[in-house]
Amino acid sequence: MTEPFLSIRGIRKEFGSFTAVKDVTMNVAKGEFMTFLGPSGSGKSTTLYILAGFQDPTDGDILVNGKSLLSTPSHQRNIGMVFQRYTLFPHLSVGENVAFPLRIRRRPQAEIAERVKAALKLVRLDGFEDRKPALMSGGQQQRVALARALVYNPPVLLMDEPLSALDKKLREEIQFEIRRIHQETGVTILYVTHDQEEALRLSDRIAVFSQGEIDQIGTGQELYANPATHFVAGFIGDSNFIETEILSSEGGEARLALPGGTVVDGVPMHGGKPAGKKASLLLRPERLSLSQVPVDKGLSVTINDITFLGNNIEVATQTNSGDCLSVRLPFGHQAISQLTRGDRAWLSFDTRSTHAFA
Amino acid sequence: MLLDFEKLGGLRAFLIGLTVLVCLFLVLPIIFIAALSFGSSQWLIFPPPSWTFKWYQELFADPRWLYSALTSLKIAAIVTVLSVVIGFLAALGLNRGTFVGREALRALFLTPMILPVVVLAVALYALFLKLGLAGTTLGFIIAHLLIALPFSIISIGNALEGFDKSVEDAAVLCGASPWEARVRVTVPAVSHGIFAAAVFSFLASWDEVVLAIFMASPTLQTLPVKIWATLRQDLTPVIAAASTLLIAFTIVLMVLASLLRKGQKS
Repeated sequence: MTEPFLSIRGIRKEFGSFTAVKDVTMNVAKGEFMTFLGPSGSGKSTTLYILAGFQDPTDGDILVNGKSLLSTPSHQRNIGMVFQRYTLFPHLSVGENVAFPLRIRRRPQAEIAERVKAALKLVRLDGFEDRKPALMSGGQQQRVALARALVYNPPVLLMDEPLSALDKKLREEIQFEIRRIHQETGVTILYVTHDQEEALRLSDRIAVFSQGEIDQIGTGQELYANPATHFVAGFIGDSNFIETEILSSEGGEARLALPGGTVVDGVPMHGGKPAGKKASLLLRPERLSLSQVPVDKGLSVTINDITFLGNNIEVATQTNSGDCLSVRLPFGHQAISQLTRGDRAWLSFDTRSTHAFA
Repeated sequence: MLLDFEKLGGLRAFLIGLTVLVCLFLVLPIIFIAALSFGSSQWLIFPPPSWTFKWYQELFADPRWLYSALTSLKIAAIVTVLSVVIGFLAALGLNRGTFVGREALRALFLTPMILPVVVLAVALYALFLKLGLAGTTLGFIIAHLLIALPFSIISIGNALEGFDKSVEDAAVLCGASPWEARVRVTVPAVSHGIFAAAVFSFLASWDEVVLAIFMASPTLQTLPVKIWATLRQDLTPVIAAASTLLIAFTIVLMVLASLLRKGQKS
């Protein structure tokens, strides 16, 4: 196997008695868009700051092209970064902001002018050279920050929730721009976000962080279709969980007893608890079918509410044992037109599409 | 608005009257001094019987006045530079540092503002006598730096408070070394605080008299000390002329400062 471009090995970071990052290991290929996804306090930003050199890890190493990065101070790492907050230099014009990294590197004036122009063109802000940052919108400021971070062609670009201060519509617009820029420049991007939709939209691969550790790394599809942990299942996509009892577990598949007595077989099982213990069963709302007549291995439910959401319909149901399950049906689904609140119905699912976590 | 000036009725006339009185109280002594410096009376009679430039001629004829003004200027300039540089570094440390005793250190830096100046002056005088600094320019500078520093630390500290450190971090990732980032990004970003620090530090030294009296020697006198010493010998309108020039210089400085600030903003 060839040497990975960027390799994070066993990174650990302690702040006093608190461990922010427990053990983070991953390889990132050249030109890859890797997203660190997780709730706040999961260690994703700390990992990024260690990459930037703002913090030293307690343990572990980071290699770029096989060479350790840790002994190099931040300003010599040649890494680009876009921050969560607006970080344009307030006393400099947009053009001078973008020129800053090149002036520090003492590039000739002609080259600076040319590259600043190209970088601003890349973020579609040509002609804004003389504008002061204070006179620009948040979205524009972040695009200038992106141009400034890319103008010196760093091999790695770090982005720390760069869009979290923007409203939803603007966010989507700039996500699209970031994708385009990633494709045009081929720069390796490490992107931190707590927004799963943003992660799915942008990334080649996603590393899901939880409590200082990576629960799973994979493409969005892999994480959705085959979550490794309860946390990943809950964080990517919508999910219902019900408590079940393990009847038997063998070779990664389990036989489970649902509340109310229904027994399902061949459920993909994660975690190695023995028979007799509890396991959470993941049921995706869009993978559940609803029927007005009893079905084999189905769950009997009462309909609590039906909500029309445009392209689909969300049905809130409750099982006899009290579990609340939401079901998402495509618009125009047969069963729904005849059902109203309070009616009985039966839910069924393909056990292959479910996952159990213990 | 809760307190609308337009709706105050009868109270309005009272407030206007009070404002005028306060303004007069503040400005009249200056006008008096200025008028007396142009008055012909040797005995500072007011209103002056006639007008003359005599006292100014006398003032400029005596080189000791000019010399003391230059001494004041030199000390104030050096104090300003030191106060801004040390104040910036101290404010940076107090703002960013996470060391034990940070708040105690901040309080210590500000004590010269609270301590009666006479107490400070006596203490410094006793110490400087031992160190051989009494009556030297260095002693003057140290003494004035002590009272100028709190102004610098407060105004630069406030400016740093409103400055996001991420901006400096961004400069570092752009390739600037930490000190290069501070000089090229942080300093310009807090320039309004540095500017205020410079103005206050200069004025703190320029018109300071208590410490200066203790630090002065017969050959080393600042303008306020010279005024004070002359005043004790004989009451001559030359003092009024010197005071008027001192005030005029201060006013010019303030006006320049506010003009410069306006220019910076736009």
